[in-house]
Amino acid sequence: MSWLSRLTPRGPGGRSSRNVAPSSPCTADPETCLMVFENHWRQVSWVLEQQDPSSSSDDLTAVRNHTDQMLCLLAEERPGECEGPPGAVTSGNVPPIGPILDLVVSENVLERVVQWHLRRGLDPDSQGALLKLFEMLIGQSQQPLLQHKAVLQPLLGLLGACAEPQLGCPPSLENSLVLLLNQICVSMARAPAVLELLFRSAPAQHGPTNLLIFSLLVPFIHRDGAIGQQARDALLLIMATSASNQGVARYIAENSYFCPVLATGLSALYSSLPRKIEVRGDDWHALRREDWMGVSSLVLFMNSLEFCNAVIQVAHPLVRRQLVDYVHNGFLVPVMGPALHKSSVDEMIASTTYLDLFLRSVTETSLLKAFLRFILVHRHDNDTILDTLLTRISSNSRLCMVSLSLFRTLLSLNCEDLMLQLVLRYLLPCTHVMLSQRRAIRDTDLYGKSADKFLSLIPDCCRLSTAPSAEREEEPALWGKALNSPSSESPVHHKPSTPSRLALFMRQQNPGGGPSTPSPTETVPSSPGAGPNTPLSPDSPMHPIPEGLDWESGYLEYLRDARRGVELCSWACRNWSAPYDGEDPSPNAAPLPPPPPTSNPSLAMFPEHFSFQQGEGGGGGSTSPSQQRAAVVAAARSEWSSTERDSGEWDVTIGENSCISLTPRTKKRSLQREDVHLPKPLHLTPDSASLPDPSPHLRSAPTKGAQQAINGTLLGGQGDRCRDSQDGGMEVKKVKRELGEQQHPAGGDSSQNGEVSAFPAPAQSCGSLQGFYSEGNGSGTAESSRGLPPHKPSHTQTPSASLLSEPRANSSNDRLTLRAAASSPGSGPPEAMLSTQSEAVERLISELLDGAGPGEGGQQGPGDSNGQGISIEAFTQELRELEDRVRERSKGVGLFRQLEETTRDPHSGEPPPPSLLDADLMGSGVVAGVVRVFRPLGQPSTQPYTGPFMVVLFAKLENMLQNSLYVNILLTGILGQLACYPQPLLRSFLLNTSMVFQPSVKSLIQVLGSVKSRIETFAASHEDFPAMLKKAQRYLAARGKVDWADSPMGMPTLRRSDSLVKSRKPSLGDLILRHTNSPTRARHAAQLALAHVRDGGQSLHSALFRGGTGASGLEKQAEALRVKNAVYCAVIFSEFLKELAALAQEHAVSMPFLQSHDTEE
Amino acid sequence: MNLNPFWSMSTNTGRKRSDGEEQSGEQQQQRASPARPSFGKKQLPSIPKNAVPITKPASPAATAQLANGTHASYGPFYLEYSLLAEFTLVIKQKLPGIYVQPSYKSALMWFGVIFIRHGLYQDGVFKFTVYIPDNYPDGECPRVVFDIPVFHPLVDPVSGELDVRRAFTKWRRNHNHIWQVLMYARTVFYKINTMEPLNPEAAVLFFRYDKDVQLFKSKVVDSVKLCNSHLFDQPKMDDPYAISFSSWNPAIHNEAKERMFTHKRRPEDHQKGLQVSGLSWVKPGSTQPFSKDDNPPLS
Repeated sequence: MSWLSRLTPRGPGGRSSRNVAPSSPCTADPETCLMVFENHWRQVSWVLEQQDPSSSSDDLTAVRNHTDQMLCLLAEERPGECEGPPGAVTSGNVPPIGPILDLVVSENVLERVVQWHLRRGLDPDSQGALLKLFEMLIGQSQQPLLQHKAVLQPLLGLLGACAEPQLGCPPSLENSLVLLLNQICVSMARAPAVLELLFRSAPAQHGPTNLLIFSLLVPFIHRDGAIGQQARDALLLIMATSASNQGVARYIAENSYFCPVLATGLSALYSSLPRKIEVRGDDWHALRREDWMGVSSLVLFMNSLEFCNAVIQVAHPLVRRQLVDYVHNGFLVPVMGPALHKSSVDEMIASTTYLDLFLRSVTETSLLKAFLRFILVHRHDNDTILDTLLTRISSNSRLCMVSLSLFRTLLSLNCEDLMLQLVLRYLLPCTHVMLSQRRAIRDTDLYGKSADKFLSLIPDCCRLSTAPSAEREEEPALWGKALNSPSSESPVHHKPSTPSRLALFMRQQNPGGGPSTPSPTETVPSSPGAGPNTPLSPDSPMHPIPEGLDWESGYLEYLRDARRGVELCSWACRNWSAPYDGEDPSPNAAPLPPPPPTSNPSLAMFPEHFSFQQGEGGGGGSTSPSQQRAAVVAAARSEWSSTERDSGEWDVTIGENSCISLTPRTKKRSLQREDVHLPKPLHLTPDSASLPDPSPHLRSAPTKGAQQAINGTLLGGQGDRCRDSQDGGMEVKKVKRELGEQQHPAGGDSSQNGEVSAFPAPAQSCGSLQGFYSEGNGSGTAESSRGLPPHKPSHTQTPSASLLSEPRANSSNDRLTLRAAASSPGSGPPEAMLSTQSEAVERLISELLDGAGPGEGGQQGPGDSNGQGISIEAFTQELRELEDRVRERSKGVGLFRQLEETTRDPHSGEPPPPSLLDADLMGSGVVAGVVRVFRPLGQPSTQPYTGPFMVVLFAKLENMLQNSLYVNILLTGILGQLACYPQPLLRSFLLNTSMVFQPSVKSLIQVLGSVKSRIETFAASHEDFPAMLKKAQRYLAARGKVDWADSPMGMPTLRRSDSLVKSRKPSLGDLILRHTNSPTRARHAAQLALAHVRDGGQSLHSALFRGGTGASGLEKQAEALRVKNAVYCAVIFSEFLKELAALAQEHAVSMPFLQSHDTEE
Repeated sequence: MNLNPFWSMSTNTGRKRSDGEEQSGEQQQQRASPARPSFGKKQLPSIPKNAVPITKPASPAATAQLANGTHASYGPFYLEYSLLAEFTLVIKQKLPGIYVQPSYKSALMWFGVIFIRHGLYQDGVFKFTVYIPDNYPDGECPRVVFDIPVFHPLVDPVSGELDVRRAFTKWRRNHNHIWQVLMYARTVFYKINTMEPLNPEAAVLFFRYDKDVQLFKSKVVDSVKLCNSHLFDQPKMDDPYAISFSSWNPAIHNEAKERMFTHKRRPEDHQKGLQVSGLSWVKPGSTQPFSKDDNPPLS
């Protein structure tokens, strides 16, 4: 059998046959081998010495055959020291190399062979043969070869030929080439000195690209399949080997195209990703591994991304830095940025999902930093990516879900910079709390007061009392029982119970190690059925799901979860630069956070604009006054819708005795203005002083506009719904409304209380606007006009919009509305807001509210100490109708989205929208925005605003009843995540229910209170609510069980199979994400869960239909969906409250972690 | 039986160098690292193993309470967590020379020991028990009872109870904390107050301190000796977490000590593979993102 025939069958990876050939005759007898070798060499050199350039193909064949055999002999030769016969080694080399190698070196065999080949012109055939030969030689050699110039030089000569443009490497040989390169890198990794040799001894003619292997490999970085993988592996080896070699690193960074190719390759690969993600279940919100494993383009991308990550992990800092920069500047900014701003909803969904996936895949800190920097700092069309992403939350359904999922990923990074931008910078100035409350920011809730409040918000209708077990002997926390005197012994051996309590003991038992651990726990008399040490008796599958779920028992699980969450989070935050406790960083030194309109003009950037602006890459990015105004317009517009909403809003106040009072928002506002001592910026006098007469003529114009606007918003929903059926742009309208809502807390108030000083003419105002914001972070212009481009194009849809976007076209008009709006706040009392709105609509609403008011007050009165007793019957039918109508109009879009139905909301009897709706809206909307923007001029730092993130989350939360189950799961999950953060500023904002905030700041507890009342209203209106609720609970519990039962995460103690607890939190995709290692299991789980989804849905539907409404089929369906969402919401809501309560409790007992200066993690 | 290596160890180290300045430094260390980091030592799985079985079955019953109160069922959690929060505060206070630990059986009973480093009671090691009223935090102030009645004007010579109430005439939730009581119990031995004494003899003796220095002193010394001589007694309370002392046994204690000093607290179920966390590029003192210099600190 010839050597050659042995060679030829070898493809990449077919090497094993070689390694098992130590018994070949030549290894058995080195001397014979040498003789054979010499023999071959003699014949080859005879050919080589022929100076005849036109050597025949016979010569070639001969040389090839002989070379093959020679190299095989060389490869199999063992180094001299092992068993070389004395005669062979006596040649005197200190490192005893084998005799054949010795000969090869002394005669320069390889060099001559290669040169011969090159001289006569390398045909692909022999090029391939040589590549394979060298690959075999290097891969198989028993002794290190590359240190020898006699091997290295010819190798580089060959490779040099491959790199030459005129010869190059034909595609058919790429495999061989890469395999050879791979082998070189492998042996280089074994003997790092080779790297230096490779680096130094490159042929002169290759000039700057003196790391030949490297430049040959780079083109294969992004290749598909094995060849790409080998190239990447090889490169990674070089990276790792060169990590400590400054010279090579500099070469890679400065003279090779490695980093640019790698990074921009990502861009190329990204562009081939699917623009639209086909979605199956309605719970889908994130790409799991098995989702993308089947998509080759995504696999390709992920391979390259993971390679980037790996390179950054191992490479020299120089290379690392360069690569990170290139990823940022060559991929994220030019590709990801625009992709995230694509115009169609599908593309937004896709890009958001991709970003989420990328963030989850990247593990290297510096690469993550690039991503985060991109998200937080980079401005695309004057908006930070973060701003853009924030707007998506307020959209509807899928886009919202993927955005929430992205934010969940972001939050899980526990990154200070992110949290700063997202939330903390808005809380830093502490303007959101009453001055007197600032000191309370650091307070911990020692006595569970906050937890109590949260739990008290669980609607009565959600407390399904199971079979009332009479013996309540065993309290969950018996440990808390008194053992009051020294002599008293507790009759029962009480056990530690709560997680924190347990932890307390664990920590004491543990340091001592096993033996010293006392075993009192095993003497537990009361362990349930299961054996004493069964780790999970309550959780184990054996524990039957009780008829009426073990509803309250979940609390302990929540405590444990909360403990874990808080602990992990504070551990992850231990290296933050500051404690964020209201003192450090100092509230006074804190830079002014961007105020609502400009900080997140994106909020005013309604997704429908995206749908409209097809093909517009986002519009021009310059910051012309017209754009600034456009931003203002957009912001104002959302504001309008907010004021409209406002009248239908309820504010919930939790009183001292946890009484809950509902107040119509508008009224409450005015009340507050009277009662509460407002800090400087909010006082009224300036308004009234300079605007003594909100004269009718001034008002008339805006009022008209407003009326249209109101109608517009109200009706627009329907219009959009119809439109949606065509282009999927449903999100749209809803967002706008929510925007209004979000902006409301700050915006609504500020416009009411707006200073007159903030009342310049438009032209002037643009300038001052800029001036004011420039103190933000130096990018004032950009900030003030962010979010414009998207608006501008969209506005051009309607005539008046286009007018608006013209610089001065209607400045007078502007001014008029502006003043009008400013005047309306000045008019003081409740009417302030009303006056700017359609009288008719307002009257209707306020009438209804008034009607509801007394009843509610009455219920509240009877000293129902816990505030649960607002008896729902007392809510009049009007109230319900009102609520329904308001809610349906403004928020109920989600239902329809899912139903994809085009009919109108059965509850709203509004006529179709006027066509110029948007334009009108804008026209009148200018007002509030402008006013709001300029108001801060006087007192820059005092406008309380908790930031777009909080605002949008709260808005979404308030809307819980209409959200789909999955949105609610994600939403509450994110809020739960936020509530884990130990920073007092954030913790107090979310969890301290005793905190008194500025009137314009909505607190979590307020939002929850309003959800509660909505749920109760809903429950009261549906007789079969308890039955439905039970079904929903059972379904969710089953779902949780499916998801958790076969979680491969180990940790069988991880609970949750028996309660809804967990089913609430991660949604399907998330749960399945856990199964990344086992796609089949994952799929199984998914199927099961989905089946449940359907079942659950079905049963709810049927439950509903039993009491058939006699409506049309479509309406029925819509109603069914509405009911379904509401019922699920009730379940989720109660669970969420328990979670919040548990978090509040755990925060009180958590210990901070020390800063770790060692970064050994 | 040495149930509690943690305590026996710390007491031993404490006693060995009960005076000298390094004591306080070491004390700090002990409070700072061992006590706290030990939180992280425990493993999640064992928690449910030990206790969930007991508590869980009780919880369904909790629903029974729903009828009369909205959240009465959670009530017990509040008390327990309040006490835990108090205990957390104690740890955070790092009171010099004072160690406490809640009993196993009741959160309302804490075992403690106090080391006196200088002054009249120098070298005293007094074990005590804190009893917290079960209507805490709305009840009276906690009681502190020394295992052995120390000779002190404010310590009842029979029951061993310290007169705490004089310092906390009315227990005010949110203002008064148990660490203050412990602090008070410590102060008492450094700054002696004889007003309305529980131990008139001691008070009188101390009052005439100038004349009877020696007499008072010798009584104190005797008392300290007495206390110390009973140090190794079995704890008065039969509780797994009662503080018990044992003599220094290098085989056990050296290792435990070593572990205490090297231990780094980690989250309970912190997994190795936990992704990069604790990201921060904010320069201390700045509130701008990515304001930190770019030499990668978190490699």
